[in-house]
Amino acid sequence: MCASLDAMRTAIYCWLAMTGFLHAAALTFEKELLEIHAPADATSIVADFNFENKTDQPVTIAKVDKTCSCIAVLVADSKLVYAPGEKGQIRATFDMGNFSGVVNKTVVLYLDKDVEGQPSVTLTVEVHIPVLVELKEKTLKWLVDAAPDTQTIDVTMDYAKPIKITSHSCTSENFKIVVKTLEEGKHYQLLVTPHDTKEPGLAIIRLETDCEIKRHQILQAFAVIRRELPPVP
Amino acid sequence: MNLVAQTAIVLTIALAAAGTTYLIQGPPVRAVLCDTSKIKSDEVCLERVMSEWKGRVLWVDARLRADWQRDGIAGAALWNLDASENMQTFEAEVAARMLDGQRVVVYCDNENCGTSRQVAGRIKALQLGNEVFVLYGGWSALAAAQLTKNLKP
Repeated sequence: MCASLDAMRTAIYCWLAMTGFLHAAALTFEKELLEIHAPADATSIVADFNFENKTDQPVTIAKVDKTCSCIAVLVADSKLVYAPGEKGQIRATFDMGNFSGVVNKTVVLYLDKDVEGQPSVTLTVEVHIPVLVELKEKTLKWLVDAAPDTQTIDVTMDYAKPIKITSHSCTSENFKIVVKTLEEGKHYQLLVTPHDTKEPGLAIIRLETDCEIKRHQILQAFAVIRRELPPVP
Repeated sequence: MNLVAQTAIVLTIALAAAGTTYLIQGPPVRAVLCDTSKIKSDEVCLERVMSEWKGRVLWVDARLRADWQRDGIAGAALWNLDASENMQTFEAEVAARMLDGQRVVVYCDNENCGTSRQVAGRIKALQLGNEVFVLYGGWSALAAAQLTKNLKP
């Protein structure tokens, strides 16, 4: 009886010890957040995350999840199991598409027995891409039946070469758009005037520039005629 | 009594207890627990959206297009940060649907994904004045509440 109780106790201790190891298994990253300042014409960004297994157990990278199809993730040498003390690297390559400004991209790693939705590691790259053409106002607003006054959007260029507005368009004939040049290639104003404000509606104003970088060639703003928003309860 | 017999007894008792609990309490609660005192200022609990606001919000799905098509909430607009998508189209579609002033609630996969907060920031930058929130728990909270039923928006 005593012998079997001892055996059972030993089994329980072994189980608890194994459970402890499973939860302790982890990879230690030098940095889980990388901040990258990319050039204005960057189309892709490469971020290297270095890590080490500082536990006394092997750690397996079970799954890598990416939050967008624009990310390619490579584990150095396609190695997925790391012995204690072993180092490795995860390389994430991000296609930046037409983004500008600040954008965060994340990659999550599931290690060993991580359950779905609870990954051990979340790696983040914060990418800063210069905004070369900036609209000070994104949306101009008029209330229904208000005076159809002219409103202005300031457009500024921040680039070594001049960037000119080459054309503009509006999806509604109810708005008259005039582009005023304050400094050629550097500073413009859009003067937007509704013909009337009788009906609610939204118009999209598009500007085209001669910027050599594609993501700054088309810009968008909105002109909105709307009723007063209800008070927030 | 040998070790095998003792283990069998322990397992039998555990199974019986689990079964009884299931019969009395029902299946385990998988809802995403949302404590209003602990969420961030830009987050909202699903319970508030559905009870206080009666679900009358503009849902914005910040997941991948395939996920939105497969199991997004019915009527949700799509706005993700996938480089293959056209951000200006997202802007125009969401702006047009914000005209009536309704609140906007953005969700991504779960509370870890982070994309919904970035998308919420871009929606606020439209400067339309609508209140914009991030759904605590994201799609997981909607799924637990059985609000996603493979309905294509």
